[in-house]
Amino acid sequence: MSDATLHTRRHAFRAATEEAPLLRITLIGIAVAGLAILVFAPLAVVFAEALREGWLAAVESLGNQDARSAIWLTLLITAIAVPANAAFGIAAAWFITKFDFRGKAFLITLIDLPFSVSPVVAGLCIVLLFGANSAIGGWLVANGWPIVFAIPGIVLATIFVTFPFVARELIPVMIEQGRAEEEAALTLGASGWRTFWTVTLPNIRWALLYGTLLCTARAMGEFGAVAVVSGKIRGQTATMPITIEMLYNEYLSVAAFSMAALLTALALVTLLLKTLLELRHADQLAAIRRH
Amino acid sequence: MTHRPLVHKTAMPGLGLSAGITIAMLSIVVLLPIGALLLKGANFGLSNILEVVTRERVAASLYLSFKLALLAALFNLIFGVLLAWVLVRYRFPGKRFLDAAVDLPFALPTAVAGIALTALYAPNGAFGSVAQEIGWKIAYTQMGIFIALVFVGLPFVTRTVQPVIEEIDREVEEASATLGASRLYTLRHVILPMLMPAALTGFALALARAVGEYGSVIFIAGNIPLRTEIAPLLIVIQLEEFNYDAAAAIGIAMLVISFVMLLAINLIQIVSRRRMGHV
Amino acid sequence: MHIDIDEIAKTFGGTTALLPVSLNIPSGALVALLGPSGSGKTTLLRILGGLEFPTSGRVLFNGQDATGMTVQERRAGFVFQSYALFRHMTVFDNIAYGLRARPRNQRPPKAEINRRVTKLLELIQLPDIAKRYPTQLSGGQRQRVALARALAIEPRMLLLDEPFGALDAKVRKELRQGLRDIHDETGLTTVFVTHDQDEAMELADLVVVMSMGRIEQIGRPHDIRDKPATEFVREFITT
Repeated sequence: MSDATLHTRRHAFRAATEEAPLLRITLIGIAVAGLAILVFAPLAVVFAEALREGWLAAVESLGNQDARSAIWLTLLITAIAVPANAAFGIAAAWFITKFDFRGKAFLITLIDLPFSVSPVVAGLCIVLLFGANSAIGGWLVANGWPIVFAIPGIVLATIFVTFPFVARELIPVMIEQGRAEEEAALTLGASGWRTFWTVTLPNIRWALLYGTLLCTARAMGEFGAVAVVSGKIRGQTATMPITIEMLYNEYLSVAAFSMAALLTALALVTLLLKTLLELRHADQLAAIRRH
Repeated sequence: MTHRPLVHKTAMPGLGLSAGITIAMLSIVVLLPIGALLLKGANFGLSNILEVVTRERVAASLYLSFKLALLAALFNLIFGVLLAWVLVRYRFPGKRFLDAAVDLPFALPTAVAGIALTALYAPNGAFGSVAQEIGWKIAYTQMGIFIALVFVGLPFVTRTVQPVIEEIDREVEEASATLGASRLYTLRHVILPMLMPAALTGFALALARAVGEYGSVIFIAGNIPLRTEIAPLLIVIQLEEFNYDAAAAIGIAMLVISFVMLLAINLIQIVSRRRMGHV
Repeated sequence: MHIDIDEIAKTFGGTTALLPVSLNIPSGALVALLGPSGSGKTTLLRILGGLEFPTSGRVLFNGQDATGMTVQERRAGFVFQSYALFRHMTVFDNIAYGLRARPRNQRPPKAEINRRVTKLLELIQLPDIAKRYPTQLSGGQRQRVALARALAIEPRMLLLDEPFGALDAKVRKELRQGLRDIHDETGLTTVFVTHDQDEAMELADLVVVMSMGRIEQIGRPHDIRDKPATEFVREFITT
C-alpha cells in the first residue's frame, strides 16, 4: 500500500509535460557524454598536443618564416573575402527583400548552392575556369595575372565556400522588418543612400555582425577548396590550414598542433562573440532562427 | 497589356545597384566556375564520364563517401534531436555552455578537426588505445571516417530543431496527457512528428556537408584505395596528376548524386509537411 | 494644393489593383478613401505619395504633371498604417529626420530644428516624450508621433493609410478629432484611407467609395448616406 501512495505522490508533483526523472537524467547524460566525446575531447587534444614539449617549443614553432607568412596570408585572405561577402550579402538581401520580381525563389536557391557543393569540387570548378589550361586562365597567365596557384584563386575559393553566410542571416531579418521604415524615410525626403545608412543599417547591424562572424570563422579555416587552388607553395600560397597539413605530413606534430591551437583559439573567440551577440541581441537574431 | 513585368517598379531605391552586385558576384564566384565544370563534362562526353565513374577505384570511393555520409547524417539526426530536446526543455548546470559548444564544429577549421580526431583515435591516442584493448581499430578505418563526418555534421539537426521545440504549444502535450497517453506515447506520437520536417532539413544539411567533406577526413582515413579513400580525395589526386577530365567526371558525379539525394529529401519533407497541415 | 487623378490604372503582375480611375481633390479638402480590403484604396494613396507608380494615367499637383516625380520631390506627409517609426531613434530624432535629411543648403540650423520639433510635440499634445523610443509609447502616442514626423517636413499634402486602424475604440475617437483639428489648423489637402464608414462619414468633407479597383461614388457624407449611387454603396453603408 505504502508503495502505491509514494508512486502517485511522485506523479502529482510532475507536470503533464515532463518526462520521468530517470528518463530525464538518462537523456541529459547521453547529451553530455556525447558532446564530451565528440566535441570537447578533440578540442582538448589540440592544446595538449601543442604543449607536449612545453610552451616554448609551441611558441617557437610559430615564429619561423613559413609560419609567419602562413598567418599573414590567412589574415590577408580573410580581410579580402569577408568584406566582399558582406557587400554581396547586403546587396543580395536588399535586392531580394525590397523588390518583387520573378524568379526570386530560384535566385535564393542559387545563392545557397555553395552549401551543397563539396569544397573540393568548388576548387575544381575554379581550376577549370581560371587554370592555365583554360581559355580565360591562359589569357590571364599570359598577361601576368595568374589566378590559380596564386592569391586571387585562394580568395575566390574562400568567397565561394562562404558565399551564402551573410545573405542568409540578413534576408530573414529584413523580411521580418518589412519595407515601411524605408518608405517612411523616403517620403520624408531622404535619399536612397541616406535611407540605407540611417534606417536600414542600424536595424540590421547585429544580424550583419553575426553573419560576418560566421563568415570569418569559415574563411580562416577553409581547407578543401584552398588545397585544390593554392598549389601549396610554402611561404607564398600556403595558408594556415594548408601549413597544418604540410607540417603534420612531415611528422612535425608540435608545430602542426601549435598552429592548429592558434586557429582553434580564434575559433573559440568567434564562438564567444557569437554567444554574446545571441544573448544581448536575441530580439533581432530571433528572426534568423524562425526562418 | 497583361504581360508580367520582370521587376515590379516602386519608389524603393537601389534596384540597379543591388541587382547588379548580386548577379555579377553570383556569376563570377559561383555560376561561371560551376558552368566551367559542366562544360568540361559536356566536352568529355557522357560515355567517357560513365567509363571514369565505373572504374573500380572511383566507384568504390563514391560508394564509400555517400554510404558513410548517410550513416553519419542518420546518427546526427537521432543524436541531434535528443540534444535539441535536452537543451530546450531541461535545466541543469552548464547548459548554456553546452549549448554554445554545439556550434564548435562550425567554427573549428576542418584540418584542425582532422588532426585532432586522428590524434585521439590513433592506436596510441587517448581513445584509440582503449579501443585497441578491446580489439577495435578506429583511425585509418571506415569507422574513423564515420566519426569525422559525425563531427562536422553535428550542429545542423540540433540548430534546426531547437526553435521548433521552443514553439511547441504546451497545451497539445497536455491534451495528449488528458486523453490518457503516457509521456513516452506523447513523445513518440505527438512531439516527434512535429519535429520531423525541421529534423529532415537538418539531416539534409548534415548529409550535404558530409558528402563533400575533405579536411577532417583525409587525416583519419588512411586513404587506402578501395577501402578508405573518399571521392573528394580522388578528385584531388586526379588534379595533382593533371587529369582534368577524370577529375571533372568525378566532380559531376558527386554533384548529380548530391542533387538527387537532396531532391528525394525535399520530397519526403513536402509529404511530411503536408500531413502536418502546414505547407 | 489641389490634386487631379487622371485615368490612373495599376496592375501587379497579372492582377489588376486599379481600373482607370479619375478624381479631383480640391485644395484644402479632407478626403476619405473608403472601401473594403482589396478595393484599391491603399494602392491609390501610395501612387499619390510616389511609393508606387501607375501602369497608366497621370497625377497632377496644382495642374502640373507629377506622375514621374520622385517620392522625395513630392513632399507628401505620409502616415503609415503601422506608423513605421524608426525603432532605433528617439521620438525627437524621428520627428527631426526629414529636416536633417534635407540637402545642406536647405537644412535648417540645429536650433531651428529643435524649435520646430518642440512645437510639433506641443501640437500633438505630447511635449514630454522627446527622449523616449517608439517601443516605450502607447499605440495612440505612436500614431501622433508619426503624424508629427510627417508634418515636420512642411508637406504639401497629408496622406494617411488607415491612421486609426491599429487603435482601440476610445483612443480612435480622440484621435479623429485630433486629425480634424490639425487639418483645420494647417489647411493641408488631406487624404486618408479607411475601411470604417463611421470614420469616413464623421471626419471627411468628401468621401470616395471604392470597390474592386473602381470608384463607386464620390460625394459628401450625407449625399452618400442619402443617395447611394450603386447597390455596392448601399450595402456597404448599411452594414
